[in-house]
Amino acid sequence: MGALDGLKVADFSWVGAGPRATKDLADNGATVIKIESARRLDLGRLSPPFARGESKNPDASAFFAQTNTSKKSVTINLSDPAGVAVAKKLVAWADVVVENFGPGYMERIGLDFATLRAINPAVILASVSVAGRSGPLAGFRGYGNAAAAQSGQADMTGWPGSAPHMPPLAYGDVVAPMVLTVAILSALEARDETGQGCHVDVSQIEAMVHVAGDLFAEMPGDKPANDDPLMAPHGVFATAGEDRWIAIACETDGQWAALAAHLGIENRWPQLADRQGSADLTEVLAAAIASRPGQTLETELAALGIPAAMVIDGKGLSEHPDLLAAGHFVTVDHPVLGPAHMPAPPYDIPGAPVRVGPAPCLGQHNDEVFAGLLGMSAEEIAALTTSGALA
Amino acid sequence: MSLLTNITVVVLADHLVDFGAMMLARLGADVVLVDAAETTAPRRAAWRHGLRTFQTQPLSSGAAPPADLADLIGAADVLLEDRRSGHCAGISEIIAEITAANPRLIHIVATGFPAEGPSGPQRPATDLTLMAQSGLMHVIGQAEAPPLRLPGEQAYALTGIQVATAALMGLRARRASGQGTRIEVSALQSAALANYREAVMYEWTGRIGRRVGNRLVRGRSGVRQVWPCADGHVTWSMIDNPGMMRALVRVMIEEGDAGELAEIDWGNILVADTDQALIERWQAIVGAFFTKHSRETLGAWSLEHGWGLSPITKLTEVPESPQMVARGIFGPSETGHPIPSGPLFAVHGFDEKGGEGAP
Repeated sequence: MGALDGLKVADFSWVGAGPRATKDLADNGATVIKIESARRLDLGRLSPPFARGESKNPDASAFFAQTNTSKKSVTINLSDPAGVAVAKKLVAWADVVVENFGPGYMERIGLDFATLRAINPAVILASVSVAGRSGPLAGFRGYGNAAAAQSGQADMTGWPGSAPHMPPLAYGDVVAPMVLTVAILSALEARDETGQGCHVDVSQIEAMVHVAGDLFAEMPGDKPANDDPLMAPHGVFATAGEDRWIAIACETDGQWAALAAHLGIENRWPQLADRQGSADLTEVLAAAIASRPGQTLETELAALGIPAAMVIDGKGLSEHPDLLAAGHFVTVDHPVLGPAHMPAPPYDIPGAPVRVGPAPCLGQHNDEVFAGLLGMSAEEIAALTTSGALA
Repeated sequence: MSLLTNITVVVLADHLVDFGAMMLARLGADVVLVDAAETTAPRRAAWRHGLRTFQTQPLSSGAAPPADLADLIGAADVLLEDRRSGHCAGISEIIAEITAANPRLIHIVATGFPAEGPSGPQRPATDLTLMAQSGLMHVIGQAEAPPLRLPGEQAYALTGIQVATAALMGLRARRASGQGTRIEVSALQSAALANYREAVMYEWTGRIGRRVGNRLVRGRSGVRQVWPCADGHVTWSMIDNPGMMRALVRVMIEEGDAGELAEIDWGNILVADTDQALIERWQAIVGAFFTKHSRETLGAWSLEHGWGLSPITKLTEVPESPQMVARGIFGPSETGHPIPSGPLFAVHGFDEKGGEGAP
């Protein structure tokens, strides 16, 4: 059994910021029912890459599959009051309701927290949004990159003196769902102690602010790039091959001395203060590394106890021997994708193991949930399906 | 915020567990720092805020555990043990003796590399080398420059979040079993988990992501993400969201700056499949419009009309931004600069005294 066996989650979230948190819950044994609709597809189902290039097939997105492992899917049209009535039955069933809709949407369809609580007094509502559900930006509509922009992270990313940098990944869509998982688990802990549910309200901007706490405490005058105040050398260096780089971080004078000896460099910078900001050192080091095969150097330096690692790309990540050995990617059989690698949580709990199952096809569990779980009759389900409420 | 009021956490910190310990403290747990590796004053202020320091007699390997430390761990719910560099190795030996006496303890062990892999948990790791192995650095920065890490210590923060998650999962499992457990968390996996795009893109398309500056490449074309404006920069992208495009162009028309954009039926345009030269022409019109207006004006329009645009806030401006003030995020620190010492997230409808809000 998983750590969250018996936990019931009604998951109204979509795209990335909500589903990544409910994936954590589902992979740990919670029953997560994803409420979605063919009328307004989860944009994750439209996100590449697709199996066999089937971009029109809502079940062919590998992006969606890796974000929604181990869940069940039902289709409910939330723009139809009859659909909302069915959704309320899931609210009554659930311990936790999760949503990441635009501002005011849950209120407009009659699923605000007060209503949820009237249906299910101990329910936990978990929301994630760009700016949070209160404050002057509560109505802001945007994407994960807005969190990088308004948290100071974009301002601090890049090389010193350069304009703000926005890499092609929405880091706010990564950090915020991780905080959402913590929020849900801590709310459950509090409910177990007090009997009370609550509404946990995660802001992507705030999540990004919290993980940059050290920058605020220091308030550097410029971007730190790859530098570190306690380590030198501390950076990436080109190795043999095209776009091949090795990251090296010497934490101690001993590590530096070992590195210098290994590379045949005269140690003219024995103390940290000598090395910090030394352009000469960087130049000598770069020259000593440039023609070496990076992977070999990484192995040699790791054996010497020097923190060093190649800068890997998507291929390197996919084939990383340590990740594969640790079960970081689990091969899951999906009805449309076939056998596919899905990421697993970075921990395993003895006696309560993580189990990563396939992402659901759209509406795959309609019968199981509507008839089996909610006890709706076949006639009622058929009528609501025909009317478009369960679509 | 007091969701974890009755939880006691003991911490041996060497950077991998620091952020997780801070999170648990921020949630109301009593978090006790027994041993900690050296760090800078700003990092101490940020990552160890809210932690209680435990004073005991000097610890030495082979000696009997001090009674006060044995009592502390004997009564603790969670132990966060950091095995990143070996800094805490001495005290870890002592603590191993004590943990056996607490069968309800959730014992989290954080390592740089996972125990199961060829590198092994002893392999040295730092935030930089972990970021290098996450695949993220490969796509951060410009093609003509070396790979970059994200600002701050993001691999450590990502690991810390997973440490806190594992502790809370362990507590849930304990409610069912009545038993404690030992959970290993690897920083490599925690950092790799943040890379939601590069491995899956390679596996399904064979494409390898590269550094492309501030461009967002999707399908056949790439679009800008960062734009200069009258007093700084904003972020906005010409992505496939017709409602958002129409909302922006409507204001550009009112301002007399829409040009040919006014004639485009955005419902019939798939930006990802549009010719790059045409996108550049459209972006030039948008760029000229943005340069005429301030971040405040553009941000207000975005909030009102739903453009999805954000002003890019300077780090120094964030603590006093109205949203941060309204949500109570920043407080003073010993470094003299405000730090995000407020709640990790807002909690509504929870009565900490279990009064009227309780069912």
